Amino acid sequence: MQNISKRPTEVVINSSQIKNSNPNKTKLLRKASKTFLITSIVIMILSGIALYIYTRYLLQNEIEEELYSNKDRVERLLKNNPDLVGIPPIMMAEKTEISEENVLIDTLIFDPLQDEVELFRQLSGTRNINGQEYKITVRAMVIESEDILSAIVLTFLSIIFLAFIFLFYLNKSRNEKLWQPFFVNLERLKSFTLKSDKPLDLNDSDIVEFDELNKQMLALTSKVQADYRNLKQFTEDVSHEMQTPLAIMQAKIETLFDQQNINEKQYEQLSSLQFDIQRLKQLNNRLILLAKIDNNQFTADENISINETLKQSIDNFTEITQTRIALNGKDEITAIMDKALASILFNNLLTNAIKHNFGNQPISVVIEKNHVQVINAGTDGLSNPEYIFDRFYKESKKPDSTGLGLSIVKKICDFYGFLPSYRFHESSKKHIFQIEFDT
Amino acid sequence: MKYLIAEDEKELQQSIATYLSHEANVCETASDYHEASEKLELYEYDIVILDINLVTGSGLDLLKKLKKQQKKCGVIIISANSSLDNKLEGLDLGADDYITKPFHLAELNSRIKAVLRRGQFGGDNTINFQEIKLDTMARSAYVNGKAITLTRKEYDLLLFFITNQGRVLSKAIIAEHLWGDDSDLLDNFDFIYVHINNLRKKLTKEGAKYIQTAYGSGYKFIAD
Repeated sequence: MQNISKRPTEVVINSSQIKNSNPNKTKLLRKASKTFLITSIVIMILSGIALYIYTRYLLQNEIEEELYSNKDRVERLLKNNPDLVGIPPIMMAEKTEISEENVLIDTLIFDPLQDEVELFRQLSGTRNINGQEYKITVRAMVIESEDILSAIVLTFLSIIFLAFIFLFYLNKSRNEKLWQPFFVNLERLKSFTLKSDKPLDLNDSDIVEFDELNKQMLALTSKVQADYRNLKQFTEDVSHEMQTPLAIMQAKIETLFDQQNINEKQYEQLSSLQFDIQRLKQLNNRLILLAKIDNNQFTADENISINETLKQSIDNFTEITQTRIALNGKDEITAIMDKALASILFNNLLTNAIKHNFGNQPISVVIEKNHVQVINAGTDGLSNPEYIFDRFYKESKKPDSTGLGLSIVKKICDFYGFLPSYRFHESSKKHIFQIEFDT
Repeated sequence: MKYLIAEDEKELQQSIATYLSHEANVCETASDYHEASEKLELYEYDIVILDINLVTGSGLDLLKKLKKQQKKCGVIIISANSSLDNKLEGLDLGADDYITKPFHLAELNSRIKAVLRRGQFGGDNTINFQEIKLDTMARSAYVNGKAITLTRKEYDLLLFFITNQGRVLSKAIIAEHLWGDDSDLLDNFDFIYVHINNLRKKLTKEGAKYIQTAYGSGYKFIAD
């Protein structure tokens, strides 16, 4: 008997089980908005700085040009009027001995009119007019141009800020509308299940790429659906087709028993054959059962008492096993499910516990709060507990198990939304199978 | 008794016929829908064993026909399909019992006997074997007129033995008769020993030693 490990038999269809390669996921629309915001902030800062530098340069140029032309005017006036003093502190001329080059500086001058110190741009230099050196100083208030500069930059920034806000919301609502069919179809894809016979229903889109995506999704899902159906049908067909040959084999063995001319050895072989046919039949019945659950053929749901069902199952077992089974019902559990499936569920759990029980220790069944535990003695924990509910997975080397019992347990639990689990209690060396019913 | 076996699988049909031909029974066979339909119209049978999936038609249609003609024969349906719907449909149409492939011939035999008991003898619900008497209504057993206390399984076992008297019954056959689908739960049939031994003790105490071991591990109920 081979131990099929490393082989998850059920395809992962639950998206939450798919490994996340990158845990930092951003929503599409948020990502688009974020990109837009960052770009606009960068553009705003860069263009603000550029505008500031350029305007400042222009304004400074303007002031300097004005200073030079004012100085020129003073010089021309000095030619006609050598005693000119000028208009302090804006234009001044004084006689001097030393000749100086033109110098441009910023200077602070007290303005008695406004009663405060103001920043001025100053151009000063000497000039020989009619044989006399004059020092000519002209000044212009810088404050004015600074005010103009900040007014220009602020106006620009507020206009561009408003424009960006407007664009941001426009862009956002536009994006939402644009991606709408994508999001609708994504939701539909999420709620799509293989087991339903209905094809995937996607919204039409006038966007070529979305339309292509839809077509590909439809093709893919209908292919998967068809394959799934075929596989299911195949299992069912094979199981049913096997019944008649099995019946013939079984019948022939019995007619042989009935003839007087077989010996003890032949009988042994024939009854061992009978035993193997029994196993095939059992395998068949379980496969058919799995298919039936898949096909929703158990619809006789009623409110049943789990305690009562377990008690009946345990009573049945006392007729066919020497192993003692102790039922400890601390609480009452009821569940809405098919009665036949409920007994199958517990019969399989109990069979598993009896088969893999260690020594002659009793099996205990505990009903507590919203769960049932079936506990049997063991020697070691399972080596691959994650596969224990998989089809045809066998942990033990026992030749007589079909490897389907626990997968039937899982299937029934899945069908009704119960939670099956397994753990090994190290200190007491016990295998614990637990079914959690919804509260 | 006269049986008709309507089963399209020749091998199975022949096995059933051979098995049932003991005890001075007459077994006729039909391999398809038309043959079965024809035979049912021409002759009278006590029991009809009807496969639902006959190659050329449905056994259920034959059953409908049969009930329309108001023939007084017991009908046992055989099907490869264990679905409950099929079973209910068959029983609704008036079949007396239903058995799913693969089945044990001894099981089929005991079902036939049960149908015959219910149908033919009306109020008489007793079965006699030598000094043993079973009351199938009260489900009680008597040896030489003295009631013996049997558990439910022991009674079923005794009835199964008597209806299949003289035949070799293996543990697999007995287990499936007594526990039906539940016999799948455990894969060895050692638990049967307990029940057979208890029954044997109770019968032997009253002097009825009919349960014999056959071929080492099988059983046979037979009058010496």
